[in-house]
Amino acid sequence: MTNKSDPASGVRRPTSVRRRLIAAVLVTAVSNAFATGTEDSGTSPFSFGGFGTLGAVHSSENQADFTSSIFSPNGAGHTHAWSTDVDSAIGAQIIADVTPRLSAMLQVISEQNYDNTYTPHVEWANIKYQFTSELSVRVGRTVLPSFLYSDTRKIGYANPWVRPPVEAYSLVPIDTSDGVDASYDLHVGEFLNTLIVAYGHETSGTPAGSNNEARRLFVIADTIERGAATVHVAYQQTYLTVNALGALFDAFRQLGPQGAALADQYGVNNRLIRFMGIGAMYNPGRWFVVGEWGVTDYQSVLGKNTAWYVSGGYRLGQFTPYLTFGAVRSDDSTFSPGLTVAALPPNLAEAAIGLNGALNSVLSSSPDQKTISEGVRWDVVKNVDLKLQCNHIQLGAGSPGTLINLQPGFKPGSTVNLFSAAIDFVF
Amino acid sequence: MTPAKSVPLLTIGVALFIASSTALADVVAVVSSRSKVTTLSTNQLADIFLGRTTRFPNGELAVPIDQAEGSVARDRFYERVAGKTAAQMKAYWSKLIFTGRGQPPRAVSTSGEAKQALGQNVNAVGYIEQNFVDASVRVLLTP
Repeated sequence: MTNKSDPASGVRRPTSVRRRLIAAVLVTAVSNAFATGTEDSGTSPFSFGGFGTLGAVHSSENQADFTSSIFSPNGAGHTHAWSTDVDSAIGAQIIADVTPRLSAMLQVISEQNYDNTYTPHVEWANIKYQFTSELSVRVGRTVLPSFLYSDTRKIGYANPWVRPPVEAYSLVPIDTSDGVDASYDLHVGEFLNTLIVAYGHETSGTPAGSNNEARRLFVIADTIERGAATVHVAYQQTYLTVNALGALFDAFRQLGPQGAALADQYGVNNRLIRFMGIGAMYNPGRWFVVGEWGVTDYQSVLGKNTAWYVSGGYRLGQFTPYLTFGAVRSDDSTFSPGLTVAALPPNLAEAAIGLNGALNSVLSSSPDQKTISEGVRWDVVKNVDLKLQCNHIQLGAGSPGTLINLQPGFKPGSTVNLFSAAIDFVF
Repeated sequence: MTPAKSVPLLTIGVALFIASSTALADVVAVVSSRSKVTTLSTNQLADIFLGRTTRFPNGELAVPIDQAEGSVARDRFYERVAGKTAAQMKAYWSKLIFTGRGQPPRAVSTSGEAKQALGQNVNAVGYIEQNFVDASVRVLLTP
């Protein structure tokens, strides 16, 4: 890795070009759909839809923020005693069926962005071609099928909880892919097997004012369904660059061979990261149980994290109370002795101590927490639900868990209680 | 309330409940009498109406015909076939619609219209109230 050229220096800037391409293709597809639509027997080739969540979250911990997404800059606790940013979102979608085989999809969501704005962003934008009734290929932006609820995590109405368990659903640092994917359906008796293979890349802004770049993103996911039962497995890998950490490891490289070795070991510059997840669900209607397990290995300062959850609920008329247990822990050491300060010239000692401190602060921020949460979904009227949920989070010893914006008064290893209320709707 | 009073009240309640559920006609899954499809299991029927398959077990194209949202026939059909309430069905379709995986079946307003749709398309499969059954349709199952 030492002599590997910095991929950021030879920056390819495919994103904006590709975005324009996607936009051009969508416009073409949509105008074609208009054209064919008029020839049709009056049925519109367009389907419109929308969804949204209005949520409020209160946290008992005012020295740190709870967020539902790793891309959120702040949330409930320190920044806001009651935060409406954690779960609120609104989305709109248009699908154009250009021909029976060719369709285009565009979905835009407004939610709290990494830069604390609500500027709408494109969540899905792709063109799908159905080669046979079993095989389809999509080109453009898709949401990754990492976990069972990954692609519906922002559609509160489709989910039993206020939000998918944060331990598992913050495990994967990439949620969409710009590229191509193929989906193959296979029916064997009453079993339906869906295999998805995807290849692409993603650049996402981060609250640090920097960005993460995922290159050569490869995903393979398989879902087996039979009646009320679903089993899902996924593997994904990518070469990840976390630009916010670039300066830290560049500084290590200034401090001799030991510094370079530490940068090689811990840096997140075009680093191969792997995720593997497995989950199962049984939902006969009156009740449901679901459990998922996943592990992300960053092979770097970001460590190796394992998370799981199990959840169940029982429907009583229009009310569905549920109970969830979730946990995430770091499997890697959260401490490094760093540079041997005594071996460095005295004028570099202070810099080395500073760098060792910075390295260990990143290492020790790896998530370690357990949550018990109970809540209820109430299907109030058609297309609208109201959910109330309490989370009791036990942070692991010395860990901030998934909390961010840690203040000087924050005590790692404490207990945090959350109360969340959300109204979800679809239209 | 004394037990002596509550027992007859309970009996009346149960009687009313039974009366109210039999007052509503059962729904039956049907295809056109010209269709080659003669049998279908509940799971196979559910797969067609949940968008999991576009074909009958014999390989022929299956075109599901829904009834209007909020109709008794529709609510009863999905409660029996998929074990899901109207809200759960809405949540189910939200999951598919907003991930680009599918659109719900075309819906008609009444059992009469459902029968018409079956008459126009030999690949169609629908559900109607039992008292609408006539020679133009074949009952596949009573869920």
